[in-house]
Amino acid sequence: MRAGRKTVMGKLKFAIYWGAACGGCDVAVVDTHEKLLDIAAAADILFWPVAMDFKYHDVEEMADKNIDVCLFSGAVRNSENEHIAKLLRAKSKVMVAFGACAQLGGIPGLANEKRRQDILDFVYHGSPSTVSQKGIYPQEITSVPEGKLKLPKFYDAVMALDQAVEVDYYVPGCPPEPARILEVINAIVTGNLPPKGAVVGALDKALCDSCPRKREEKRVKAFYRPHEILFDPERCFLEQGLICLGPATRGGCSDPPRCIRSNMPCRGCYGPPPDITDQGAKMLSAVGSIIDSQDPEEIEKIIDGIADPLGTFYRFGLPASALRKKRFS
Amino acid sequence: MKTISIDPITRLEGHGKIEIFLNDQGNVENAYFQVPELRGFEVFCLGRPVEELPRIVPRICGV
Amino acid sequence: MDNFEPKIIGFYCNWSSQMGIDSAGVEGASYPPNLRLIRVMCSGSVDPEVIIDAFKKGADGVVILGCHLGNCHYRNGNYNALRRYRLLQKMLEQFGLEKERLRLEWVSVAEGKRFAGLVGEITEELRRLGPLRQFS
Repeated sequence: MRAGRKTVMGKLKFAIYWGAACGGCDVAVVDTHEKLLDIAAAADILFWPVAMDFKYHDVEEMADKNIDVCLFSGAVRNSENEHIAKLLRAKSKVMVAFGACAQLGGIPGLANEKRRQDILDFVYHGSPSTVSQKGIYPQEITSVPEGKLKLPKFYDAVMALDQAVEVDYYVPGCPPEPARILEVINAIVTGNLPPKGAVVGALDKALCDSCPRKREEKRVKAFYRPHEILFDPERCFLEQGLICLGPATRGGCSDPPRCIRSNMPCRGCYGPPPDITDQGAKMLSAVGSIIDSQDPEEIEKIIDGIADPLGTFYRFGLPASALRKKRFS
Repeated sequence: MKTISIDPITRLEGHGKIEIFLNDQGNVENAYFQVPELRGFEVFCLGRPVEELPRIVPRICGV
Repeated sequence: MDNFEPKIIGFYCNWSSQMGIDSAGVEGASYPPNLRLIRVMCSGSVDPEVIIDAFKKGADGVVILGCHLGNCHYRNGNYNALRRYRLLQKMLEQFGLEKERLRLEWVSVAEGKRFAGLVGEITEELRRLGPLRQFS
């Protein structure tokens, strides 16, 4: 369905794009189901690779600021992601970091704990299921008999969108909840957005505020991995020694919160609550303060029970955090 | 040699591009399909607790 | 690493450790100038984010100084410091930051000489480890 560059008067012009992404944020837009027709009535989508056949050159040929709103999901992992982010920024009035990857770096951001070369070595040679000629890696320029082929540069580190271009709004979530997406689009269409820089489509309190579980007292003598105990499905996870990122995560994913209602602790996909810059450090602080012991040896033992602090506290937000990227000498 | 570039490929999940090289007769001399994306799940999942993977690997593809 | 002078940030609490540091001065126990001291009310009030920030801004090592366990002016503050610090150390090790770069020490009013010795020891340890490159 080609809407073409001629648009109906009054309709807002949208672009929906993905960097280092999985497509889940695009599916979340589609998951608004029949309300998608309301979106279609209010918006003209000029670029949406998952659903429409517009090309990069269509965007390049547009005038600057032609697009009213760009919803950019996915992280910035390579030079193509960065190039298109800059292109869309130039062509758009409003740039929205859509979803956890764009807001914080997301799951792909876990690669920032690893060495770039180790990733290339394993993917193209080391993995047991790879059959590869020795020494062949993807190159930025490959000569073939007919000419030259180009691939983007695989960066040293994953970036959140606002580390590459200026971002006007953030819609958190992995993926953002469809009901929240509708609220955001409605706010855009009715001109009801808060000042630039705001997180929209989410609450202004930590997840715990909307959690239905019973809370008694947070004094933990041991931390457990979920298979190590039979836990009470009605009580706060943290109180039972299961790491839950609720205290350091913004609420709004759903009511009751998505993972909580599926009987799993929160992993922080909605990013930090307002006024918190480093989600992982805040969570670490919270976990530290509920350890119920005054004996240094016992404290040591309790901390040993936390399996993967870096990958758990910074599950979605390593690139946007103060730590950003691990360096190897 | 004339080239036709399809960039990006669309209506599927993922990034891809196709370069088509035409000869003087206007017929396809050769065509190349490239995948300009890599995130490295197979590396950054290593060392993580196994029970966390069901919440990490679905982000390979959200479709 | 002959010319390397480690930069050390020290967060010291307003109570026992301040008196301990003072004693060092009074007793004439000298310590290397590598330590830059920042006073806080309680060792337990040092946020992990602030420690990370210190490393980001160029510290090769960070030291937290508080009252001995059981003697915290605010009763439990130093226990909070201990728990958070140990967990932060573990997480930073995953990130490639050697655990020797983050220290938590209890200093009392009578331990001026011990404090000075500690600073010397930590400075040499950091000199051996070299500059921190994790946040370049």
